[in-house]
Order: sequence, then C-alpha cells, then structure tokens
Amino acid sequence: MTFDKQIKRRDLLKTSAMLGIAGAAGSVAPSLLKAEPAKPTEIIVRAWGGPWVEALKAGVSDPFTTKTGIKVRHDLTEDNEIQPKVWAAVAQKRTPPIHINWDTTTNATKSALRGVCEDLSDLPNLKGTTDLAKPVGVDGYPIVNTYGYVYVLAYRPSAFPSGPPASYHDLLDPKFKGRLAFYNDGIGFHFPAQVAGGGKLDGIPNNMQPCWDFVSKIKTQEPLLGEDPDFVTWFQNGEIDAACTISTNALGAKRNGVDIAWTIPKEGAKFDTDGLWIPKGHSEGDLYWSREYINHALSKESQQIWLDGLGLPGVIPGLRPPPGLAGDPSYPTKPADFDRLIRISGKIQVENESEWFSKFKAIMQG
Amino acid sequence: MDILEAAFSKIWPKKGGFWGPYLMLSPAILLVGLLVLGLAYIGDTSLRTLDTSTFLFSEEWSLANYERALTEPFIRSVIWRSILGATIVTMTTLLLAFPYTYIMVRTRSAFLRKFLLIALFLPFFIGQVVRAYGWLIILGKQGIVNDILGLIGIEPLRMLFNYPSVLFGLVQYMFPFAVLMLAPALTAIPEEIEAAAESLGASWQETMLYVILPMAKSGLIGAGLVVLTLSLTDFAMPAILGGGTQDFVANAIYDQFFRTSDQGFGSSLAVLLIAIGSLLVWIIFMLVGAGTLALGAKDK
Repeated sequence: MTFDKQIKRRDLLKTSAMLGIAGAAGSVAPSLLKAEPAKPTEIIVRAWGGPWVEALKAGVSDPFTTKTGIKVRHDLTEDNEIQPKVWAAVAQKRTPPIHINWDTTTNATKSALRGVCEDLSDLPNLKGTTDLAKPVGVDGYPIVNTYGYVYVLAYRPSAFPSGPPASYHDLLDPKFKGRLAFYNDGIGFHFPAQVAGGGKLDGIPNNMQPCWDFVSKIKTQEPLLGEDPDFVTWFQNGEIDAACTISTNALGAKRNGVDIAWTIPKEGAKFDTDGLWIPKGHSEGDLYWSREYINHALSKESQQIWLDGLGLPGVIPGLRPPPGLAGDPSYPTKPADFDRLIRISGKIQVENESEWFSKFKAIMQG
Repeated sequence: MDILEAAFSKIWPKKGGFWGPYLMLSPAILLVGLLVLGLAYIGDTSLRTLDTSTFLFSEEWSLANYERALTEPFIRSVIWRSILGATIVTMTTLLLAFPYTYIMVRTRSAFLRKFLLIALFLPFFIGQVVRAYGWLIILGKQGIVNDILGLIGIEPLRMLFNYPSVLFGLVQYMFPFAVLMLAPALTAIPEEIEAAAESLGASWQETMLYVILPMAKSGLIGAGLVVLTLSLTDFAMPAILGGGTQDFVANAIYDQFFRTSDQGFGSSLAVLLIAIGSLLVWIIFMLVGAGTLALGAKDK
C-alpha cells in the first residue's frame, strides 16, 4: 500500500512537473514559433536584366532590404539556363545557387512537376490576390504568379495607314514580305495561329493542324525569327513592320521613341504569367526569408512600383495602371478584357512545347 | 621540359623511377579522363527519355531519343545543313587562306608581312560573338554596306539571316585558324625548290600545282580538319547571323537542353554530332592522312 502510495506520489509529482513544463512551454511556444530565424547576409534572386531587373529592384528588392536589412543580389543568368543547375542541386541535395527564381510560369511549371519547388500556399499576402496568382495545371502554390502579360501584335503605324491590323491574315499582304517577326520557336503565336488557320482552341493540343497550316502561310512571307531584344532592335532599325511579341517589348520600344503601337487581332492573343518560386534545399532561415521576399512582392505597394516599370497587370486588385495603359488591350484588368485573350494550362504547354517548337522550326527552316 | 625534369628530380629523386614517365603523363590522362567521364555521362543521359508529366528521366535505357533524332524531319535537315555548311566553309576557307599564307611567308617586304600578320591577328583577339554582331552592323538593312549602295540608288538589300550569311561569318571566323595551320607547312618548303622547278621549265602555275600544293598537303589537311570540326560544331554564327532560321546541330542541342528541358534528347544529338564529326575526320584520315595533325608520325 505504502509502495503504491509512493508510486502514486511519484506519478503525481511527475505528472505535475510535466504539466508545469507543458504549461510553460505552451505560453512560450507561440512566441517561439513567431520568432524570426537568423537573417542571411543576402538572398539571391534570379532575374531578367535591363528594365526588368531595374523594376524588380525598385519595387521589391530595395524596399525588402530597407525593411529587413537583408541584401538582395540579382543573378541575371537566363531562366532556362539556371533551371538545370537548380534541378541538379536539388537532386544532389546541395544548396541551390539561387534563393528565388523569377521565372515564366510555363518554365516554373516544369520545376513544379519535377517536385523541386517549396510550397507557398500559406503566404499571408496570397489572401489578397486575384485568381491570376494561382498557377493553372498544378496543385497548390509551388509557384506564385505575380503578373500577366499578352503576346500582342505590335506594328509600325506608318505601315498600316488604314488602321491597326484587324487579323493575322492582314500580314499575308505581299508588301509585308520580309518585314514580319516572330519568336524563333513560335511562342506566343501558336494559339492565335490555330484560330487564324480555321481551328478551335479546344483542338489544342490534339489537333493543331490548322495552326501549322497558317504558320506555313506566314512562312511564305519570310519573317525574321528572334528573341525579346531582337524585336526592339528590328523596330528601331526599321527592319520590320509587325511582330508578335510580349507587350513589354513594344512598350519598351515606344518609351525609347520608336514609332510603334499594338493591338489584339480578332484571332486573340496568348496571355501568360510570370511568377516567383523557391527551390528546395535551403536552410530553414534562408527559406523563411525567401518566403518573406515573395510575400513582400505580393504587397500592393511593391506590385504598384514593380509593375509600373514593366507596364503589366498585377495580381492585387486596385492597382493603378501606368500612364497611357488604362484600357489598353495589353493591360487586362476586368473580366471582359480577357475575352479575346487565350490562356492555356501550363501543364498542357510544358507537355507539348517540345513538339510545337520543333514543328514551328521545321516549317520555318524548311 | 628540362625545367620540369629538374623540378621533378628535386621533389622525387632518381627521376621518379618506374613511375616517372607515367607521372609526367598524368595531366594528359586527367584531361582525357575528364572528357571520357563527361562523354560517358552524356551517353548515359542520351539513353533516357523525358517524362513530361514529371520532368524526370526514365530509369531504363532505350534508343527512343536516337530514333526520334534520325526520323524527325527538322533534326535531319539541321544535321544535313551542318554537314553541308562545314564542308563549304572548309573548302572556301582553304581556298582563301592558301594564297594569303603563301604571300605572307614568301613576301620580301617586311611591311607587307607585318600588315598581313596584324590583319590576321587583330580579329583573332576579338571574340566570335562580337565579330558576329559586327557583321550585323555592317550588313544590316541600315548597315554600312546598304548605306553605300543607297548612294548609287540601290534599295536596301537583306544580306543577313540566311544560309549564305552564316557561311560568310564562319569563313571569316575560321580564316585565321586556317592561315595559322598552313603557315608552318608553307614556311617549310624551301624557296629553292620553286626556283629549281622554274629553272627546269615549269610555269608559275605548274610550280604551284605540281610542286607547292603537293608539298603543302599536310598543312592543308591539318587546316581543313580544324576548320571542318570547328564549323560543324559552331553555335554563335548560326544563332546570330542565321536569325533563327539556319540552326546547326549545336543550336538544336541548346534548344533541347535549355528551352524544352529535354537533356536526354539533347544528349542524343550531342552524341550524334560527335559521331558525325569523328566519322568525317576518320574518312579524311583514311583517304589522305592526318597532315600536320600527325605531328611528324608517318601518315596512313
């Protein structure tokens, strides 16, 4: 009996002690959980150069440094060239070369499907974003879309004296032979070409023949094929009259004094997004502050400055359009603005782009 | 070598004994070993197919990437364009480099020799990409050439973004390599031999055709091999001067590695490129020998 009592007494003491510790821990735990991990000296954000990185720096990176004291280094390696390095680092369980990748959503979707992205679905500022922030075709938020952009039909107004081209068919006029430009893999043009060729968007990806038929017609016009910087140069040098390009390039050329305008033809225009994501493999502290950076990029103040620089619509409601872009077809904000924009799931794009690129190049280089 | 041996004997007396020569070979073995390791990795990757639902490569090996490379019309046209381009560039470069080198080594004018050497080396020090962009400025629609043509009333011509402009850029890039490979071969031909041929009644053309060209054969083969392999694998000229319409195999490899993330297919193209290059070089070795690349060993 005495023994039992002793045991019970011991049990009681133990239980009391444990309850005491648990109670104390319970009161301390929330503050511990909220405690900020140690700050890294810097975080590395991959970015595109020129006006792109300047806009990011002004809108997100500099204010983030002011707020947290953490320096932000911008790595200007091309997005598609950093990708294999990040994938290799994650596969080999090394620390990835960057903390945050500013990436096209299509490219980032490949990383998400491969499982190398950290989950971002609990970022506090996501609550205030529009549906545009959610990547299409993947579960959750391995990527957070930060803005959208349109592959507009940019044109030289003097070459179209009777008004902007209403259709891609207008570009088949013999006077535009050798004076058109497209991306060298056809990106941005495949979907409107599908419509221009008499096909339907729900034929993507299984019946793209109308697209290839129209690309073949465009090929007879001997267009130039290039990358983003080429379009601006070609417009500046008077080498081309029209191009299917991202609106930012057209806006950049216009801001540099080039006589250029843009439109969305009746076939529509591809709408896509860029986003931010964090590769797996960072320490807890680095991950915490990288997430803070992305969360900061989703604040209204940051979006306003960043996207004023890019001239693109963000993912926070109520942003003020940059001067001259209110109501512009390249700056969709209302549901009606999206009626003529074509948005295809990132998953469908990454599963088929290799075939689409090859087919486009085969036609253009045939 | 003497300095190396002296340093080595201080570290390892008695010249390293049995292992000495092997130790001397170790840098070369290391270099070749790394190359072989890289090739083995590329070979392994080329046998794995990409699953675009997970962007992971298959665990099993298959020849699917090679089958695709050899059956896809676009890739076949790229391979053909590369081989044809490399052949044309090699022939043209040798045709231009031979007289240039001949004048450079035979001229009695020190000024002319120096001028030709400077003209040769100046572009050599400028990178390929910068040179390609230089041609964009010179040959563009608003370039210097079109400006001059405009003075005589000719409308601006499109001289860029086509196959001839890529070949032109490659010839200009390869020219110094060919001259540098040819110069030792032509310098080694004594001038007295030319004088002897002429004194025996050979015309200048006959001397060139029956004496100089055969004696310069090793230099021509060496220069041809270097130009052929470099042109076949070139990336920058087709990318910049081709305007996205004249891809060579290297451009297609880049696209697969970095644009569509299909390193398996890209690796299969890399292996095919190595195989094609090696096959071409082997055919030349079999037909005419290794030239100056034999480094004094007997040809064939």
